Amino acid sequence: MNKTQTNSIGFSLSSDRVSVIILLIPALIFCTIFIFIPAFWAIVGSFYSYGMTSLNDWKWVGFDNYIKASQDEFFWIALKNNFIIVFASIVLQVGVGTILAAILDRGIKYGKVIFRTIIFTPMVISSVAVSIIWLIIYDPNVGILNSILKAIGLPTPSMGWLGDPDISIWMIMIVAGWQNTGFMMVLILAGLQGVSKEVYDAAEIDGATGVKAFWYITLPMIRNIIIVAILITTIGAFKVFEFVYVLTQGGPSNATQVLGTYIYLQAFNLLHMGYANALSVVLLIIALILGWFQLKASRRA
Amino acid sequence: MLTSPYLNKEECKMKYYFSRIWAGILITLLSFSFTSSSYAIDIKLWDLSARQGQDEFYELLKKEVKKYNPDINVIVTEWENEAYKTQIQLALNGDDGPDVFFNWFGEDSARLARAGLALDLTPYADMEGGYGSFISKGWQDAGAVDGKIYGIANKAVSKYFYYDPAFFDQHNLSVPTTFGELIDTCKSIKAIDPSIVPWPMGNSERWKLNHVITMLNQRVVGAENTKADYALTAPDDELFTNPKYVEAWEKVVELNENCFNDAPNATNPELTRSMFAAQISPMMYCGTWCGGIFASEGFTDFKMFRFPRVEGGADDGTVGFLVAEGLQVSAKTKHPEAAALVASINVSDTMALADAELRGSLISNAALIDQMEDAPHWFTFYVNDIADKSGHVNVLDVLLEANVSNAYLDMGTEVLNGTKSPQEAMDFIRKVALEAKAAM
Repeated sequence: MNKTQTNSIGFSLSSDRVSVIILLIPALIFCTIFIFIPAFWAIVGSFYSYGMTSLNDWKWVGFDNYIKASQDEFFWIALKNNFIIVFASIVLQVGVGTILAAILDRGIKYGKVIFRTIIFTPMVISSVAVSIIWLIIYDPNVGILNSILKAIGLPTPSMGWLGDPDISIWMIMIVAGWQNTGFMMVLILAGLQGVSKEVYDAAEIDGATGVKAFWYITLPMIRNIIIVAILITTIGAFKVFEFVYVLTQGGPSNATQVLGTYIYLQAFNLLHMGYANALSVVLLIIALILGWFQLKASRRA
Repeated sequence: MLTSPYLNKEECKMKYYFSRIWAGILITLLSFSFTSSSYAIDIKLWDLSARQGQDEFYELLKKEVKKYNPDINVIVTEWENEAYKTQIQLALNGDDGPDVFFNWFGEDSARLARAGLALDLTPYADMEGGYGSFISKGWQDAGAVDGKIYGIANKAVSKYFYYDPAFFDQHNLSVPTTFGELIDTCKSIKAIDPSIVPWPMGNSERWKLNHVITMLNQRVVGAENTKADYALTAPDDELFTNPKYVEAWEKVVELNENCFNDAPNATNPELTRSMFAAQISPMMYCGTWCGGIFASEGFTDFKMFRFPRVEGGADDGTVGFLVAEGLQVSAKTKHPEAAALVASINVSDTMALADAELRGSLISNAALIDQMEDAPHWFTFYVNDIADKSGHVNVLDVLLEANVSNAYLDMGTEVLNGTKSPQEAMDFIRKVALEAKAAM
């Protein structure tokens, strides 16, 4: 009897394994074609020098592209901007998203669905369309932002919102925040709705209400959701491209350059494909590290 | 129906019918393969999107091509300017790119020729319908690299100052003939009404100022002195060291202080065109494509003048901005002769005239201009003025090596923002030029 069970279990396990492999094959094929092979060639290409119009003329340069990156001031500007975007996105998108979610969860009694829909709506619009709308809003000559500020007697930046290297990156952040905060809010709201009402009732008896309850009860209980939200935002901030490309193309004077746009500039405008590959590998390593954290955090959540 | 001693009657019948079905399938397949191989030749043509007349122009091209070869189908895809610059390079390296494609003639077209991505069209000049019978030797040379023709120029673009004569007359302003007079005109306009922008500048895409510095380099430094620097053939200790380059950037600073709007680096070029067309600004520097745009926005009573000479500069003001444009053929095309024919027919007498009339192009087949019916006044001005110029200068973002070109574009925004002085801008350009030269 035991032998039969063992056989039966053994047979069942091996059949499961076959099923798993069969089910994984389509995903593996697509991953291989669209991720692993391009990533492999990006790594290989990063050790060569070649251009978009000289794809058959690869020159071995070893680690020169990586050394060049370490000495390239614009690469460091791009990397720094990515970190600024990470930090600002966490504050704007996760921070504001958490506050909005808390208000919708327990702060207001009526119109929750309407507010939730309005705040989430920018998320369903294409990033390029959002950027173009904000391009018009920021325009120094006909933009509504300058018109409002002038109407109430406030000064406007003389170089324009997107033309001033000191503020343009923050202007991009506002656009990204406007679009993505709604998604963070919905994510965190889902976590908040999972917190049992009894916990709040018990806390109320102990004197914890309002902000105190939010700080000591709500935040610890949705800690894992917030970690996931932070990681999603961080990875998104490192991948950012379309907002920067449409709004400033990395300008003025490379002030808003991020890794995505700088790689694009090197590959397709300056035709340094090998160097662009090296920069992509750096971005890939950062994304892998962040992805690993996200995976761990998701499992805990 | 034959019968076999080894099969019964029913089996023979079945075999007979199966053999007929197989034969039918084979005939159908063979006829399909013959149809596809003997007739249709699809030629994919990529061009920039144009605001006027493009659809009619390409409908006519398709008909004209069919007169020479009825089997050729021309399939046109249009692209926006910036997207095209990237897409064409990707496509030419792939297996599904265009057979015939638009390009700016200069470093952009020459690079593709050197990389073996553009087809040598020299052998097709004298074929039936070949471009050799339509455009002059001079225009053929616009697409030449090392003595071979890698592109067929069908048009050119130039740039002029457009101005509102009614405004100028009303305020007794005269057309400036020198850079100093241009600055004085800007000051006079601001004195009339400080809210008027004398010359709107939209440099958010960086190329607008690049066209201005192209002309300032020409006027201040001169063609002879820039030649070796632009080609990166000057000795290292001389490359971009001429102090006149700094002087040219100083003129930009002067323009920014007296003529341009606030925040030029955040202003869209299309908006500045509308500012002139709406007569909000009385003057602007714009391409030969702008005349039609102003007219389409309802303003036709404008006039033009050349970029003025600079006092003490190397150029007397007779050299003009001119970028030849045209079609190249992909070296990967499966139908080189058909593709060359399409590119050639594009400059035929019929197509050139249609190009001028429908798209407002300054065509390479210039002898046909006189045949144009009701040519707008700006078009006649362009044609006469280009013929009258002593020479032409290509725009820096097409002419220069990619890294140096990008440095010039970047320094344009820096100088306008005041984040770099003219001297610092030239120091940076020289540094990039030295690196680019070393990498060549």
